[in-house]
Amino acid sequence: MSALKGLLGELVTDVDALVAFSPSGSYYERARDATDEGDVDLIVVGAENTVGADAFVELPLEFAEVTERVRFGIEGALDSEYVADGDDVACVTSVFDDGVDTVSRVRVDAERHSGVYDLFVNSRADPAVIRDVLDVVIELGQKGQKGKPVGALFVVGDAGKVMNKSRPLSYNPFEKSHVHVGDPIVNVMLKEFSRLDGAFVISDSGKIVSAYRYLEGSAEGVDIPKGLGTRHMAAASITRDSSAIAVVLSESDGLVRAFKGGELVLELDPEAY
Amino acid sequence: MDVQTLVMRDVDYLLALGVLVVGLVAGYLVGRLNARLLRAAGVPEAVEGTSVERTARRFDTSIAALLARFSSLVIYAVAVVLALAVMDLVDLRALWYRLVGYLPAVVFALAVLVFGVLVGDKAEVVVSERLRGVKVPEIGVIPLVVKYGIVFVAVLVALGQLGVATLPLVLVFAAAALALIVFVAVATKDLLTSAAAGVYVLLNQPYGIGDRVRIGETSGIVQELDVFVTYIEDDGTEHVVPNAHVFEYGVVKER
Repeated sequence: MSALKGLLGELVTDVDALVAFSPSGSYYERARDATDEGDVDLIVVGAENTVGADAFVELPLEFAEVTERVRFGIEGALDSEYVADGDDVACVTSVFDDGVDTVSRVRVDAERHSGVYDLFVNSRADPAVIRDVLDVVIELGQKGQKGKPVGALFVVGDAGKVMNKSRPLSYNPFEKSHVHVGDPIVNVMLKEFSRLDGAFVISDSGKIVSAYRYLEGSAEGVDIPKGLGTRHMAAASITRDSSAIAVVLSESDGLVRAFKGGELVLELDPEAY
Repeated sequence: MDVQTLVMRDVDYLLALGVLVVGLVAGYLVGRLNARLLRAAGVPEAVEGTSVERTARRFDTSIAALLARFSSLVIYAVAVVLALAVMDLVDLRALWYRLVGYLPAVVFALAVLVFGVLVGDKAEVVVSERLRGVKVPEIGVIPLVVKYGIVFVAVLVALGQLGVATLPLVLVFAAAALALIVFVAVATKDLLTSAAAGVYVLLNQPYGIGDRVRIGETSGIVQELDVFVTYIEDDGTEHVVPNAHVFEYGVVKER
């Protein structure tokens, strides 16, 4: 038994910080005592700082994919300067149920920055707005339009510029309306309108400016993984030409992807949520 | 105790019983009649959808039934008091004056209160239906203000009926409202002018997000609109322009 402990204990030897994902109150207290003893930093990552931790990174979305969750937490910690480039950190999180059941050791690498934290926190639009849009898109990906898979493209933030770099395909159903993503009625509306062709344009504060937009960003120099279609290309190019971000639901493979600055920064499977 | 007083007592009891029976029958009939009258006057349709009616429905009854029941209850109460008086159990004269003096006022006050709450509820429903076309989520406050305004007036009238001195209440309310209005108007003068202009801008949208405009000295692309300000961006500089300027200088749309 002690050999097993030694074997698994290697995972956490000489780490610089412990990153706890959504810990319970009692687990947080035990972790705090343990980290105080070993002179290790403790960083809490979660939807809300319920335990009152000093070092806290807000998780806008409960990532089902552990790698995304860990990546987000570490990039957030790096951005808030809780950890530094080259640090070794141990991440404790739960994969199967509510309790902590997984430990992973990660080296903080500022170079291999996926930008997923940046996507939420350092975009023009409000983090809450981006989260709401992702929620809608994930729901749309799960249920589709009347059971059939649909594709959708949402451009969030920098709406003035996006509107000038796009043209209407037809009359804008959101003309003179004042609806925001996150209003309860809106999810239903967006689902209904998702059968329309073209992109949705959403402003920094979450107001739905337009549907039915044909994006005219220049695709020159945009490098996205091969095999993705025109919708993804349009999303990537508009984010390169403006400071907006784009969230795409792929009609063919059902995945949700987010683009920023012309690059793919996040890929989620809606079925996992 | 001799026979005569005993007989007198019995006659009193019989009389009291008679009064009670007549009262009960009359109360029941009046209740039925009122229910019919209310239905004929279209009260059930008028109160349809109000929250009071919904509450009543939850208890398996309706406003019309409750009103009719109330009129019966008043008559039952009068009959019981009369019967007690006939039996010399209560001093009729003392009670009578009070009752006659007070009962109509109480009944009227209650009626006004019920009527006020009903009208308030109905007004809320009507106003919110009228405002449904305006797609601003915060608009929900206006129907509530209308409702409680009407209920407040009804309460004042009802209290007035009961002889409660409502004048100080009205004065205090008016003074508070006036002070609040003056304070708000002075403190938020600029905000108010901007908001007034903003309501026009939001409803009519003379310009929208993505348009290139010039308001006074600032020109650029509209990024965001709200009630108070317009965000205009020009080559990386973002100008926050109070909507009041829209009316002061006018808007130039640049194409």
